[in-house]
Amino acid sequence: MIRDHFLTLVLYSVLVALFFAFLNHRDRKGFLKSVGKTLGWMVLGSVALGFLMLWTGR
Amino acid sequence: MSKPFPSWKACAVSLLTLLVPGLSHFFLGKRARAGVFFAIVCATFLLGIALHGALFPLDSPNWLFRLAAVAQIGLGVPYFLGRAIGWGPLGLLDMADVMFGYGNTFLVTAGLMNMLLMMDAFDIAVGRKE
Repeated sequence: MIRDHFLTLVLYSVLVALFFAFLNHRDRKGFLKSVGKTLGWMVLGSVALGFLMLWTGR
Repeated sequence: MSKPFPSWKACAVSLLTLLVPGLSHFFLGKRARAGVFFAIVCATFLLGIALHGALFPLDSPNWLFRLAAVAQIGLGVPYFLGRAIGWGPLGLLDMADVMFGYGNTFLVTAGLMNMLLMMDAFDIAVGRKE
């Protein structure tokens, strides 16, 4: 099974992004925008937070 | 949907999601979305189990575990079925697994997603949402 932390993060983000996009948007444009925004914030935000913790934890 | 349901009926319809994720939407005629919601919630749930997450019992010794159990119970039948067949045990070996935390996150999220689906179905049934 998956042992990769980053892959798990991406999988989780994809599922959450799709769920909220389907829940809140009916139009194609709004749907794609919502998926992109949620996915971007979750993946990039988590990686940024991880680096921040790495640097401040030293 | 042509005519909004009265509150008691909308409540009953929204509870169908506890049987099968997305069943309320299916009943309300949103069949494609019901299928998508079913696939997303089931994928989240099964990934959580595969990642060695635990299906916490309500009488867990740790209050955080009890809180997680409340969220997971939002899954309804899959939670109780999973516990009945021994999925997601709260064993020491599972807790020591590096993916234990990830698995729990997936399982808690699946439960919370299902609760949101119930609320969404209620809103559609009473005519508050398309």
